[in-house]
Amino acid sequence: MTMNKSVNELDRVFNPRTVAVVGDKKEMGYMWLKSLSTFQGKLYSVQIDPNELAGIEALGVENHSSLLDIPEPVDYVVIAVPRAVTPRIVADCVEKGVGGVTLFTSGFAETNTEEGIRLQRQLTEMARAAGLNLIGPNCMGIFNPKIGVRHSPDQYAGEGGSAGFISQSGTIATFFGLAGALNGVKVSKSVSYGNAIVLDSTDFLEYLAQDEQTKIIGMYIEGLKDGRRFFDCLKRVAREKPVFIWKGGDTEAGTRATASHTASMAESPAIWQALMRQSGAIKVDNLDEMIDTAKLLLHAKPVAGERVGLVAATGGQSVAISDAFAKAGLRVPCLSQDSYQELASFFDIIGASYQNPFDVSSNLRSLENVLRILDILDGDENIDSVVLEFSIFLLARWMTGPQSLDGFLDGLARFKARSTKPFLTVLVSVHMEERASEVRHKLTQRDIPCFPSFERGAGALRKMVDYYRFRQAEGIPV
Amino acid sequence: MSKSQILVNARKEGRTYLSEIESKELLRGAGISITPTKLARAKEEAISIAAEMGFPVVLKIVSPDVIHKSDAGGVKLGLGSEQEVADAYDEIMASVKQRQATAKVEGVSVQQMARPGVEVIIGMSQDPQFGPVLMFGLGGILVEILKDVSFRIVPLTARDAREMIRDIKGYPVLEGCRGQEPADIPFLEDQLLKVSQFVEQNPEIRELDLNPVFAYSDGAVAVDARVVLESEG
Repeated sequence: MTMNKSVNELDRVFNPRTVAVVGDKKEMGYMWLKSLSTFQGKLYSVQIDPNELAGIEALGVENHSSLLDIPEPVDYVVIAVPRAVTPRIVADCVEKGVGGVTLFTSGFAETNTEEGIRLQRQLTEMARAAGLNLIGPNCMGIFNPKIGVRHSPDQYAGEGGSAGFISQSGTIATFFGLAGALNGVKVSKSVSYGNAIVLDSTDFLEYLAQDEQTKIIGMYIEGLKDGRRFFDCLKRVAREKPVFIWKGGDTEAGTRATASHTASMAESPAIWQALMRQSGAIKVDNLDEMIDTAKLLLHAKPVAGERVGLVAATGGQSVAISDAFAKAGLRVPCLSQDSYQELASFFDIIGASYQNPFDVSSNLRSLENVLRILDILDGDENIDSVVLEFSIFLLARWMTGPQSLDGFLDGLARFKARSTKPFLTVLVSVHMEERASEVRHKLTQRDIPCFPSFERGAGALRKMVDYYRFRQAEGIPV
Repeated sequence: MSKSQILVNARKEGRTYLSEIESKELLRGAGISITPTKLARAKEEAISIAAEMGFPVVLKIVSPDVIHKSDAGGVKLGLGSEQEVADAYDEIMASVKQRQATAKVEGVSVQQMARPGVEVIIGMSQDPQFGPVLMFGLGGILVEILKDVSFRIVPLTARDAREMIRDIKGYPVLEGCRGQEPADIPFLEDQLLKVSQFVEQNPEIRELDLNPVFAYSDGAVAVDARVVLESEG
């Protein structure tokens, strides 16, 4: 596949060999130089304040008094100087011929002040005239964990994942990376792009669409510069990779916030909804939904069917799980006669039942029986997806030693490996948050998606099914 | 009148609002099902057009100055004979003259009174970010009070048209309920696609309304139409 010019240029920015930070200082806790301490290429600092030089030297970073003094080409620059100085530094970037720039500095159009708006216009004109790949201003820029390009010292480095993320907010980009990793959704490349005066979401979408490392793409968008171009691009990309969109500012109050956050204009929620339906993008409304659905798309087998087999640990939960999945528009059908016959041969029905839903109760004590139930559901022609809830109480009571818990989870992993249908688990924390987190982490390590509530599992499955139905309707292989 | 003539005339007269007759002619040219409507400049002409079309007919005032035709007493429905058409013509002229003495009156429009069906509306407006957007909904009170409408950005695909009709909460009404005639949904889908195509080919159109459209078990027909052009400049 040949890359067009802008994609080619962005590839240099997202995969830099040299990075320069302009204006990091002690007052900011050297956040940029510390974040980039994991960078595998060559890192430079540009700082003219003599009081800062010792601190930068202590971090082991080579400092220059101007970008133009750096003795080699620079692929990626982070600008963190006060806003009044930004035009001069951007001019240096143009002269140096850098690959791209993240303008971290804020205080532009989002402040709705004369000075801010004037400066933003000046930077836009400069960057556009020079063809400079400018990200921001008012943003955190690029995160590429594989090569250690970070924008927060809390982020991980070394191992990249397969989830691309395009975010108008820096915090949400950071949260997606951190919360996603806990859920087995690791970032391939992400970008926070703020006011989007030159590069906008569409440019990044085009880039990640062709990035081989990126299998799914999440977006947090407050506003667009060119809706038509975005729509055309999204229609193309969503057919190739799942694209999740969380549109910020979906309410009047939210719109007030997007204006002061990234100077974004109000846009109609109804039109956005239409846009997502038409393009086949997956609509999510918050970070949890984004990560839940990403988790399922990355770690569950694809399915376009709506019929679920539900296995709950106890009676009340078997009612609750059915209501939650049915409310998400999924169906909870009866099993085939063969399945019922086989269940009758071993299932202990004292205090338990196996309609669909299942209330397994004491059957949960036997890993063998649990796996048998799961295998029956996996083989049943009436079922498209299999969901298992296990109770934190029963886990605590029956699986006290780490041995038996791990043995139980390994059994589930073996089932997942041989199963042909999506397999989801639900573990409600109740009062044992830490214990539940520990078990969820073990499941994540075993590549088994786990959700903290029935509703979140059901919501994610609904969105996954809708995505594959879209592919089916469009004649794209599921 | 051809499409370009209609647009040229409107521009020449500095109008962005097309008359009902112009709007309908434009849309009929795009293959959209719409009641044939003719201009009568005098009473005798109204009578002869009505006789030719077949009764019952509807008469509406044609005047660039009268925007709310019903409020001005400018609409008469269900006229079953030549005499009724003649009387209605006089009443319309008298009423408009009384309420808007300075209005420039061109005559009346004459159209066949369509048999009632399930009322739906199809509209188009320009979104500042995404350009032309189509709207579909059930007509009358459902759209006004419940805002039970769905949107799609132009151009629509066949899947978009199919889903957009099924997206509205009132969809079961279109399937027919309590003995009511079901709507010809494939026909409505086709109408949406034709409007989408028309809008795509005519970027000078700012707004468009087919309201109401009567949907039947075999086809559908728009009985009123309104087209607004982008202002020049």
